[in-house]
Amino acid sequence: MNLIKIFLSAFLIDNIVLMKFLALCPFVGMSTDVNKSIGMGLAVTFVTVLATSVTYPLYYLVLVPFNLKFLQILVFILVIASLVQLVEFFLKKNVPGLYASMGIYLTLITTNCAILGVTFNNISYKFNFIEAIVYATGTALGFMLALVLMAGIRERLRSSPVPKFLQGTPIIFAATSLLAVAFMGFANLIK
Amino acid sequence: MLSIIITLIFSVILASVLGIALGYFKVKFNVEKDPRVAELEGILPGVNCGGCGYPGCSGYAEALAKGIAPVNLCSPGGKSVSDAIAATLGVNAVSTEPVVAMLLCQGTKDVAKDRGTYVGIKTCRGAKISAGGTKTCAYGCAGFGDCVAVCQFDALTMGSDGLPHVDYLKCTGCGMCVQECPQQLFVLVPKSRKGSLVLCSNRTTAKASVIKACKTGCIKCEACVRACPEHCISMVNGIPVTDYSKCTSCGICVEKCPTKCYQLIQKTIPQI
Repeated sequence: MNLIKIFLSAFLIDNIVLMKFLALCPFVGMSTDVNKSIGMGLAVTFVTVLATSVTYPLYYLVLVPFNLKFLQILVFILVIASLVQLVEFFLKKNVPGLYASMGIYLTLITTNCAILGVTFNNISYKFNFIEAIVYATGTALGFMLALVLMAGIRERLRSSPVPKFLQGTPIIFAATSLLAVAFMGFANLIK
Repeated sequence: MLSIIITLIFSVILASVLGIALGYFKVKFNVEKDPRVAELEGILPGVNCGGCGYPGCSGYAEALAKGIAPVNLCSPGGKSVSDAIAATLGVNAVSTEPVVAMLLCQGTKDVAKDRGTYVGIKTCRGAKISAGGTKTCAYGCAGFGDCVAVCQFDALTMGSDGLPHVDYLKCTGCGMCVQECPQQLFVLVPKSRKGSLVLCSNRTTAKASVIKACKTGCIKCEACVRACPEHCISMVNGIPVTDYSKCTSCGICVEKCPTKCYQLIQKTIPQI
């Protein structure tokens, strides 16, 4: 029950893009069409879970015993970036099909702030390992949901008469804020 | 002081472990790439017009290196590029004749009437899907410039007369506008071709509807077919078509056409 609560809260109530305003750059950049946003969402889900399962033990088994908690940011960024690179090498060699569909997104998300944010939150919310994985999955799927919704909105925007001073990125941010207001409706979903 | 030293040691260890691991895996998972692909990408113009039928220049380069694509598909690059590709791959180049795109519609604002006021999405395709075009002539140019937007070479401009104008010196014959135009008004014509061409795409056989819709539409009177001394013009799908193996560019069809649909290709396309 607790796990479902964590998942739902990460997925909808505290949606990483629309409520926490993290990962706005890939959100604006990659929501141009639905297929692209699904590809990006899947890649982010994969990397977030992987990063969590590496950084979480690293924090509790290395950083805490050596009293190096203040190095958290440095270590996590380094580890996540090299992990993504490694996965990219691996996919390129062994699963070329998956690499062709996911490869370009993988390099984009090496320093995605959503992923770094998830790994920090896992520590600050004092989750255990299972909870951390569930939280990471929920957050990443929430990111994908926001991306797919935005891609749908942008498809409509493309054929709408947008005032000249709002064309391009400004209208996307305006639409995003309205979407965020809609997501506030989930606030009391879990008591 | 101690914490600084520990931090230093830890950072050095972490960085070197990650660095060595990445370096090791890079070698271990190295994928052999065909060196010719990079070379071919350098030769190709890099405009990614898609005229060759492959997704962008790198897609064509890969297909070339695999040996599954002919060397003469790049029309923007022309002969010099296909020769360079052939030299790289060690095959004989087949010469390609340079082509340009021509618009087969003369329905400017003045001569072709609008059906009404169109207020939908301002693209040709949108107008075609929602209202079947904007002009009374169902085959005419809608004039929103989908072709201008898709042209990678700046060869098309939207004229004040409501028709796109082709700059034949810039046009590379990549065929993007041919694919994009929802009315299929563009054709690729070899630059060196001589002869007459009818600049109308109205394929209805009802003469009265053409007269009503456009002052320079082909009204199917077949005066050109009767007038041609070489008997090289025949009606195909409601449009007169010239047989270029017989045409002598005498210009009689251009004179006889009552709605001035006919034009000699060599007068339109500048001959170099």
